[in-house]
This record gives sequence, structure tokens and C-alpha cells, in this order.
Amino acid sequence: MGILVVQALVLLALMVAVGLWLFWFPYPSPLLRRWLPPRKRWPEAQIRGWLKRGRFERAFVRYFCRDPERVPPPGTSLLAPADGLVTGTEERAGIRYLVIALSFWDMHVQRCPLSGKVVSVESRGDDFMDGEGREFAFLREKACPVQKRLVVATEAGQVAVRLITSITARRIETWVREGDQIERGQRIGRILLGSTVVLELPAAAGLLVRKGERVWAGQTPVAQISQTP
Amino acid sequence: MNGFLWAYDHLGWGIFSVTVFTVLWWLLGDLVWRLKNIGFGRFLAAMFSGWLVGVGLIVLGFFLGSR
Repeated sequence: MGILVVQALVLLALMVAVGLWLFWFPYPSPLLRRWLPPRKRWPEAQIRGWLKRGRFERAFVRYFCRDPERVPPPGTSLLAPADGLVTGTEERAGIRYLVIALSFWDMHVQRCPLSGKVVSVESRGDDFMDGEGREFAFLREKACPVQKRLVVATEAGQVAVRLITSITARRIETWVREGDQIERGQRIGRILLGSTVVLELPAAAGLLVRKGERVWAGQTPVAQISQTP
Repeated sequence: MNGFLWAYDHLGWGIFSVTVFTVLWWLLGDLVWRLKNIGFGRFLAAMFSGWLVGVGLIVLGFFLGSR
């Protein structure tokens, strides 16, 4: 009789496993997730579904909000302000825009590309499709980007970091204020959900990365500006 | 008596092993399907062959053990 009980318990555990598998299908069962990389653990369709409902799974939120330590490499190069994929290096009116697209699985804390003093922290395109919001929609093919623009005066001149998100997500936190002295690689803010970060550089800056390359905030050198004497 | 389906007062170890193996194989298949980019036909064929080999070994082991 004892053996039958053990067998029944094992079969019950297997039934639970199959039940979970069926319940979560086509997405991975929670029992299998630990063996999957993040992109497969939480597929894009599942995240988009959560985004529509406005409710997210706790494990995903924990993963999304991770904020690992980063050690900036030595040197005077400008570091990537965000984790993601370089999707553009356009130059317009004497400014080079290095566009970094963040996916749902990228770390969403942004870091300062170079030491300097924060000149301004501006909010833009917060509500309507007008003004600066529309002007810069070309960067991400988004109609109403919500933006924060941090301008930093560095020894190599002024650079700006734009944190952009969509009107549906519309949450950007900035952790520095006007007048703050910030270090190269220091945390400057966080975008919550689908987002883009644009680094604005003088056109003369030499880019160290190309379109299609992956970069890591506070770690990957993305450009070099020759120091002014 | 040690039957494949039933033995005295509990499930036979044969059918029990086949059931456990089948469920674990199914879950493993799901994991492999998500991790690897392979064609569905090839995947099904590989999983079915693996399942046949596993069940074959269980049945063989059961009958050799109960001889």
C-alpha cells in the first residue's frame, strides 16, 4: 500500500506539471523557465499582452528592474548610455545622434557617457504629438515619444542624452539634477518599458561603434571626442 | 506476481516507468523546442525516436528483471 501512495504522489506531481504546461501554453511553463534565456523565458508576445493589460509577472518585473554594477573602462572615450542595439548614427545640423534601441530584455538603467556637470534636465513630448516630440519621432518611428533630455557639460564639450519612451509606457525616472557633478559611467536614470536612448554628440566626434552593434551602458566605448586645449 | 500493469497492491513498475518517462520526455521536448531552431518535422521525428528507444529500454529492463 505504501508503494501505491508513493506512486500516486509521483503521478500527482506529474499531473501538476502537465497542468501547468497546458495552462501557460504557448508560453513556457514556470517549471521550465529557469533553463531558458530571458528572451525565450518571456516571449515578446507575452510581454505585449501584459503591457496591454497593465499587469506584469513579478519575476519579469524583477528581471526588468535589475541594476548591475558596471566598471567603466579606463580612458576618455564616451561610454554607451544604455544597453541595447545601435540602430542609427545619423548626423543632422552639426549633431550626431547615436540611437540605441532597448528591448524588453535589456537592462533599463542609463549611465552617463562622460564626467561633467549637468547643465539641464528637460522633459519633452510628454502629452501631445507636438513640438520636440514630433520633431524627433524620426529617431524611432514613434508618433509621440515621451522624452527626458539631459545635457552634460564635459571637458570635451556638451553632450546630451535623450531618454525616450512611448506614450503608452510614458515613465522615465531621472536621478540627477541641474548643477550636479556626475562621473563617467554614473547612473543617471531609468526608462520603464520599451525605449530608446539617443546620445547627441558634436558631429566631429569619432564613432567607435557601428549600426547593428550591441552596446552596454557604462562599459562600451562608443565615441571619442578630441579634447579642446 | 509482478505484472507490467499491476503488481499486488500497487501499479506495475513497467507502466509507472513508462508514464513518468513519457511526461518527462514531453517536458524535455518542450524545452528543446524552445531552445533550438529546428524544423518541426525533424523535431517530432527525433522526439518520437527518443521516446521509442526509452520505452523500449524500460520494457526490456522490465522483462529481463522479472524473468
